Amino acid sequence: MNNIWGDMSQYDPVTWHWVIAVYLFLAGLSAGAVMVALALRWAKGEQFESPIIKAAALVAPLAICLGMLCLVFDLTKPFHFWLILINYNLSSVMSIGVIALLLYIPLTFAYALLVFRAPLANWPLLGGVAEALLGWRKPLEVLLFGLGIVVGAYTGFLISAMNVYPMLNTAILPALFLVSGISAGAAANALVALIWFKTDSHSAEISGLHRVELPVVGIEMLFLLMLFSALYFKGGAAASALASLTTGQWAVVFWALVVGVGFGIPLLSRLLPAELRHGKGVTVLAACASLTGVLALRHFILYAGQSYIS
Amino acid sequence: MNKRYVMVHDENKCIGCQACNVACRTENDVPDGVARLQVRVEGPFGEMPNLHYSYARISCQQCEDAACIKVCPTGAAYRNDDGIITINKDKCVGCQYCVAACTYKVRFMNPVTRVADKCNFCTDTRLKRGEQPACVTVCPTNALVFGDANDASSEVAQIIATRATYRDKVHLGAEPRVYRIPAKKGGIAS
Ligand code: SF4
Ligand code: SF4
Repeated sequence: MNNIWGDMSQYDPVTWHWVIAVYLFLAGLSAGAVMVALALRWAKGEQFESPIIKAAALVAPLAICLGMLCLVFDLTKPFHFWLILINYNLSSVMSIGVIALLLYIPLTFAYALLVFRAPLANWPLLGGVAEALLGWRKPLEVLLFGLGIVVGAYTGFLISAMNVYPMLNTAILPALFLVSGISAGAAANALVALIWFKTDSHSAEISGLHRVELPVVGIEMLFLLMLFSALYFKGGAAASALASLTTGQWAVVFWALVVGVGFGIPLLSRLLPAELRHGKGVTVLAACASLTGVLALRHFILYAGQSYIS
Repeated sequence: MNKRYVMVHDENKCIGCQACNVACRTENDVPDGVARLQVRVEGPFGEMPNLHYSYARISCQQCEDAACIKVCPTGAAYRNDDGIITINKDKCVGCQYCVAACTYKVRFMNPVTRVADKCNFCTDTRLKRGEQPACVTVCPTNALVFGDANDASSEVAQIIATRATYRDKVHLGAEPRVYRIPAKKGGIAS
């Protein structure tokens, strides 16, 4: 129907679409991959370049760069993106994110050089830089880990800083995104290590990743429960947003992809007999399921979150 | 002394004719399909013969605590010397963060300039020349009053002091500067 006051399409509360969900996924995955790999390396006191570290060194810069491409081409003025690099507003989470990413992205590349210094040894410049970085390994790792936390949490803060969306404007969202980024990072590390670096799925490295999986999924579920119960008890517009769990396509995405595939398949695979469970096929399947679940979670939160306003 | 420009919309006098909407479009070169200002007419409500409509002005509320300014990464969304929130086109990258974050969902991306857009009380054009905003000037029933609420002798200050007014979504804490005089059901009261 035509209104006498004009077109209503600009008032659709869903402003950010799937490209942003993919960006939030990739940024969280990149940060998660770094954090998981470094934590495992430190925990075991590894002195060599394990397949997991190699995987993370590859995944982290690639994922974040792909994510940045998504972000830039989602701007209405993509070729003016440099404006965001020369103007800063410290009350804007996006501006703070830009600062964090300007530190994080070069560091992921530096760390990749360091990890792959052996194959790069014969390159004139890169080989030298990689060797030089080696002396700085520990401080570099600590800084990278810290920035990983910042980048992972930032993806949540970015959308929680809008008080017009009750489902997004919650304290738990940055924590939820940080943890689900860690689960995506662990899955991506496992996939790359298994397929690219041909690790044995029964190896100590992969079983280390398996040990991370269960607590991380548990915390993710707990945070989701906290998010939904906070909305329920707040009442009003916040409680209305819970309708996204029972109606419409995002309810299907949540229950089928986030819960069924993302949590269900990795958890069920752990009930299989040890021989099967640690097989390559099952490990790859569980990792793909985790990644699907996290990507679906970003979509669900972004779309369902923006669909209800207070 | 600082100015505090506010707008009052008298929902008793409003007849929903959209003259303000059209005047704004012309004054500010607003392209088709998007709007800085609409008056939504809803209804009829009530039982025959006591029917009534509601008239709601949908436009930037010039928030005291503006979400758009807080989230804008480049400072393109800013408050000018008159205290009016407006947009520096040259700084906007088009990230749409302000469109998403706006408490009143009234910001939009201008499809021609590709930067964020919204009502700024005609600050760069009519206000600069000492004139009233376009919508205020054309309103056939004088339902709109505009002025500096910090000036106690201004018409807006007196309306706010003496009439029952309300503002939209005050529970969200943005402190909007658009005041509304609620309609008495079923007729025009002046
Ligand atoms: S109504 Fe929206 S655009 Fe206008 S000042 Fe408030 S937040 Fe900014
Ligand atoms: S779209 Fe433009 S005005 Fe809005 S937040 Fe982004 S840079 Fe700022």
